[in-house]
Amino acid sequence: MTESTNIILYVSLGILVISLFLVFIRMFKGPSIQDRVVALDLTASIAMGFILIYGVMKDNAIYFDIPVIIALISFIGTVAISTYLKRKEKSS
Amino acid sequence: MITALLILLGSVFILLSAIGLIRYDDLYSRMQATTKATSFGIFLILIGSSVCFHEPYVYLKALFIILFIYLTAPLGAHSVSKSDKEGRLEE
Repeated sequence: MTESTNIILYVSLGILVISLFLVFIRMFKGPSIQDRVVALDLTASIAMGFILIYGVMKDNAIYFDIPVIIALISFIGTVAISTYLKRKEKSS
Repeated sequence: MITALLILLGSVFILLSAIGLIRYDDLYSRMQATTKATSFGIFLILIGSSVCFHEPYVYLKALFIILFIYLTAPLGAHSVSKSDKEGRLEE
């Protein structure tokens, strides 16, 4: 891996950190619960990007297993929270 | 080099979706920003890192993740928007 490739990978990690900061601002500020659920979904995608870039930097293909699990769990979590909100609105 | 450029472009797309999440002032606009741009950013990052490793099973896993994300991101957004709409109709 050349030097310029490594520098560009570090710059992409910095961009992902900035976007994680913006997402956390929305998660603290968000007016409704649905905004926070959307922000949580975006957080899972940013974590997938982090782990993929880290695997490229370590030159190890075993890190490719982790984003599969994160994609599955984030989808199940989003659907579970929104179904719970729907049921709660209906019963109250 | 192509790996680094693809990964940088994907990170920029994820940053754009985070800016859209914080700048829009409606829940539906925010969901539109986070669903489309994030899927495309993860797609670019996956293509870049699988080109870096260049093995068959890595390409297969990347294809599986891309298919799963492009199937489930609209489903999750639809579920969240449906819960919000029913909540508004109840008021």
